Amino acid sequence: MPLPYTLAELEGYLDETLPVERMAAIEAALRGSPELLTGLAKIVQRRDAGVHSLAEIWRRGRVTCPDRSELGQLLLGLLDEEQANYLRFHLEIIGCRYCAANYADLQAQQNEAAEQQTVRRRKYYQSSIGLLRNKAE
Amino acid sequence: MPPAEDLLIEQIRAGEDGAWRELIARYEGRLLGYVEQRLHNRAASEDVVQETFIGFLTSLPNYDRKRSLENYLFSIAAHKLTDYLRKLGRRPTLPLSGGDGSGGDWTPAGKERPASAAVRSGERRGLEAAALTAALLTVAQRWREKGEWDKLRCAEMLLVLGKPNKEVAQLLDWSEQTVANQKFDLLERLRVHLQRQQLDPDVFPELTAE
Repeated sequence: MPLPYTLAELEGYLDETLPVERMAAIEAALRGSPELLTGLAKIVQRRDAGVHSLAEIWRRGRVTCPDRSELGQLLLGLLDEEQANYLRFHLEIIGCRYCAANYADLQAQQNEAAEQQTVRRRKYYQSSIGLLRNKAE
Repeated sequence: MPPAEDLLIEQIRAGEDGAWRELIARYEGRLLGYVEQRLHNRAASEDVVQETFIGFLTSLPNYDRKRSLENYLFSIAAHKLTDYLRKLGRRPTLPLSGGDGSGGDWTPAGKERPASAAVRSGERRGLEAAALTAALLTVAQRWREKGEWDKLRCAEMLLVLGKPNKEVAQLLDWSEQTVANQKFDLLERLRVHLQRQQLDPDVFPELTAE
């Protein structure tokens, strides 16, 4: 019986690029479906053999992703209606995770206290700075 | 890569603290957004982002500057997120072999993989992917400039989501024939583009399927 996921979706699952609800649905389905697991393994084999897919190329190349400033303009309501509708389609129907992440970040910048950002950034910096110094030596 | 990013990477390679702070400040929010969508747990998400930055510095000698920095960081975050989900037991490890059992539904449309594919170099594969990406970007940019938003929607639903023509036609309120024509035109453009660059369309099974 055909499985209810397209090849493009399964590739998106492997790359962590599908909308989160779809990712969760595939994860749940995998628990009871050896066929699905085998199918994913076959996709990996195809990739290892050098076969490309348009969905993978499209997502990796961010072919239709707006730049961050456009997402900022969307947030501020500065885009014309047609372009704004298209960006909402890209975010909500296509479910682009990268653009959703940028959009969430821009929203957070409007709402989050600067102190929270500073604490987080300091943590990332302190946990990695040793590596930076090692590189330079 | 934009010149400002190029400079930032150079400074980080030279061990400049300020540049590293700048990169963290510029990208941590979007990386956190990406991970947190999936984990719904702020502390765990921050840990994954932390691992992402460590992974970036570790992999810096291999970083290809032609690649977008944001995309590179997102790809590291995706790997770290996958590792984290595996540890939680949410994401299974794939078997090494796909086997040849009841996998008929998984065979991609189009011709079988050409024998040459298995021995093509990574460089060659990179060239093929870059050529097709460039062709898609050109087409998409043209549609954007002309305000042909439905053509973008159509292509994304067909290629990125893998939706069938019928469903796309319903969503766009187009005829199925219009969707089919649109798909054919796009695939034909891509085939021509690859042939002009003397690349083999057979490594893109979807381009030779119809």
